[in-house]
Amino acid sequence: MTSPAFPVFLFVVISTVMAASILMIAQLVGPKRRRTDVKGMPYESGMNPLHDARQRFNIGFYLLAIEFLVFDVEILILLPWAVAAGGKQTGTLGAGHGVFWVVMVFLVILTVGFAYTWRKGVFKWK
Amino acid sequence: MFSQDWIEPLIKMAVVIGAIQGAVAYLVLAERRAAAFFQDRVGPNRVGPFGLLQPIADGLKFILKEELIPSGAHKPIFLLAPVMILASATLAFATVPVGYYFPAILGLKAPIAMTIAPGMDIGLLFVLAVSSLGVYGVILGGWASNSKYSFLGGLRSSAQLVSYELPLGLSLIGAILLSGSLRMETIMDAQAESGWWWVMLQPLGFAVFLISGFAEAARLPFDLPECEQELVAGYHTEYTAMKFGMFAMAEYMHMITVAFMAVIIYFGGWHLWYIAPAIPANEVGLIGALLRIGILQAKVLVLVFFFMWVRWSFPRFRYDQLMAIGWKIMIPLGLVNLLASAVSQEFLAKDAYLAKAVVSWLVLGACFVYGMLNVNPQGAPSQHALAKV
Repeated sequence: MTSPAFPVFLFVVISTVMAASILMIAQLVGPKRRRTDVKGMPYESGMNPLHDARQRFNIGFYLLAIEFLVFDVEILILLPWAVAAGGKQTGTLGAGHGVFWVVMVFLVILTVGFAYTWRKGVFKWK
Repeated sequence: MFSQDWIEPLIKMAVVIGAIQGAVAYLVLAERRAAAFFQDRVGPNRVGPFGLLQPIADGLKFILKEELIPSGAHKPIFLLAPVMILASATLAFATVPVGYYFPAILGLKAPIAMTIAPGMDIGLLFVLAVSSLGVYGVILGGWASNSKYSFLGGLRSSAQLVSYELPLGLSLIGAILLSGSLRMETIMDAQAESGWWWVMLQPLGFAVFLISGFAEAARLPFDLPECEQELVAGYHTEYTAMKFGMFAMAEYMHMITVAFMAVIIYFGGWHLWYIAPAIPANEVGLIGALLRIGILQAKVLVLVFFFMWVRWSFPRFRYDQLMAIGWKIMIPLGLVNLLASAVSQEFLAKDAYLAKAVVSWLVLGACFVYGMLNVNPQGAPSQHALAKV
């Protein structure tokens, strides 16, 4: 018997090949016409594009990404506890309420960090 | 090579990919017909009976149009983006069960699990992880196009997808606590055995999940990535022909994924009282198996219709409102729900489902009252609650 993750790896290959082949079929079948300067121009409501589109952008997006990373890892840490404490068993792994209080302390720290970034105005958009 | 380890997943993959692509094609038609119905129009009905051949005509159009790459675009990344978003949207179905078990057919060993990778214990986490890979397709596509609309759309929508992933994950923890597993089959079994759907025990968690799901699938009240009036078409402005089609397909697949997750985690999957009760995997007959597949798909279709209904019922949010809802309402609500379900899981008897339901509905009611007191009559989030901080 192969690993339970084996079909997943197979599916990674197959779905990528499927998506790539759709792209390739369209490239092969579609009509090929002459390229012109105007046709290759990015769409900007009929104006000639002024600058490169890849410009500096609002710092807010960057702060949001950092906040997301921190928060996402913290949620990821909660998942194993949820599985261990969940279902029909008593307490976490049958070990009483100790782990529960640890998780509550963890949640408090998480909430304090969240409140700090909120107060700092990370989620404020102008 | 030709053992069951290879044959079984390959057959399932062929069925899943075929079914999903067909479903996507016909959902586009269904959405247009539903939109016409809501707006008192007729909708596409010319191609074939009831317009049923319209998806085929659309597909042909996608393939037969000219593929265009803008001259300023970064070519490899420009081509990689649609492949990435479509492949990750498809891959999310690797651990999503589409029914219960199936009796032996084609000489395969029974019972056959209705999942591509039935042994994966981290099923739910895998779906979340893989479907969030779609963000790469969005940001790469927006960046590679070298168009200002695409760039802004890519930035906006990646920030949106990233923000709403947090409440999505938070709200699911409550349901995981009830099931004690991340495996989606086990989550359905837990609901079938208890006779309670988790939506009754996790009303607040389901509300947060559904709203975040709408945002993750970029459906209308949250379709900021491609709001036509502001950004033309957002991150796929410069994409033509089949490359645009791939983005559209991935979008509908995300909607189907969210619907499947909602049905499996909150609406009991294949379970329906008296008609499809919990039975051991090796006692399910052909009719029982087909019935359970049908029930699950019917629930998914109802939810997909709900998605379309919402699309034509609510106006779009402004971008600052979208971010405020995500970070200042959804995440605190998710934390409240997590706290309430952790406490009731830890201190109530494990099968005291009625008590857990009472606790969670009380918490939902308290949140609702607090929200009502902090929202002004125009329906906009009040200055006090959101704008000042």
